[in-house]
Amino acid sequence: MRSAQDGDAAAFASLLREVTPLLRRKVLRKGWARHPQNAEDIVQEILLSVHTARATYDPERPFLPWLMAIARNRMADAARRDARQAAYEVAVEHLPEIRSEADQHAVLCRWDDQEQLRKAIHQLPPAQRQAIELLKLREMSMKEARAATGISIAALKVSVHRAIKALGALLDKEAWR
Amino acid sequence: MKTDDLIRHLSANATPVRRLPPAWAQAAQWLLVALFSVALVVLLVSPRPDLAVKLGEMRFLIEEGAAFATAVTAAMAAFCLATPGHSRKLALLPAVPLALWFTSLGLDCLRAWLAFGWKAFQVELDWVCLPAIAMVGAVPALAIVAMLRRGAPLAPRMTVMLGGLAAAAIGDFGLRLFHPQDAGLTVLIWQFGSVLLFSALAGWSGHFFLRWRHVRLAG
Repeated sequence: MRSAQDGDAAAFASLLREVTPLLRRKVLRKGWARHPQNAEDIVQEILLSVHTARATYDPERPFLPWLMAIARNRMADAARRDARQAAYEVAVEHLPEIRSEADQHAVLCRWDDQEQLRKAIHQLPPAQRQAIELLKLREMSMKEARAATGISIAALKVSVHRAIKALGALLDKEAWR
Repeated sequence: MKTDDLIRHLSANATPVRRLPPAWAQAAQWLLVALFSVALVVLLVSPRPDLAVKLGEMRFLIEEGAAFATAVTAAMAAFCLATPGHSRKLALLPAVPLALWFTSLGLDCLRAWLAFGWKAFQVELDWVCLPAIAMVGAVPALAIVAMLRRGAPLAPRMTVMLGGLAAAAIGDFGLRLFHPQDAGLTVLIWQFGSVLLFSALAGWSGHFFLRWRHVRLAG
């Protein structure tokens, strides 16, 4: 390490190669064995930090406590980061059904019988009916529909989504009669 | 990137570095800068007229000594925390002088209460202490942050909090040399309180000042 501080690249490379297996074992023992790629990322972070903090090493003091203090710090940072990410992740077993614009259009075009479609639209709740009329039948843009109704774009999107879903169910029911 | 490639990059970037002195030597360097700056401010503002008398009072000497010792031990602890391999328990170094300082101020409050009753607890508004401590402690604060940034950010909040405590304590040490305010409760709230407030603010901003700044790897 003393040579590395003096700019001896070969000595520094040799030191880093020598400590890497030790760091890897330490990281894996700390519970990162389930995520080998993450474990290797942490080992690399430790090596980067050793490089950054090499001026803080005092040759009069032992090397391993210095190295392990950096390793513990980087592992704790990684654990905190991991915990933060885990807190924002939600395990979803069934993804919600999301219809694209093309899917929504396909639902409406699937039915040639315009009269039946008109009747189905009339059976929708008022908010959904209004959203379908403005956005699909009169082909207004979201901004125009918002200006016309005062309803937010997010709420309009939700209404259209629910209306399309309800229309699909209503028209399918009619087809079986 | 593979670890072997990273090691190749890091060793290629291993330019010679100037070793940081031991923590006690860094604390001594900081103290020199801090004392010089505090002395300059005290001379510019002009020392309090009764300073010679005050220097003969045991209570004043204990409180100034405790503030000074708090600054020295807090600086020492901050530099230790920024050097890998030191125990985190060293963060407790300033606890003893800080406790002595608080006890001395507390005893003065008690004496005032015994002499004057509840009237002794009528707190004077001494807002000037807050900006004055900030003014006297500004250069020591900048100096200690600049010096700590050369170390390793192992415990950023605690390290910067100790740095802030050192700067604020030396700021209060200087303040009492030109600000004629000795009422125990007022000093306790406006001066000791300001020192704690500045330390807490420094600790809160620790991650802003100290973070790992790794070398940029080309390719």
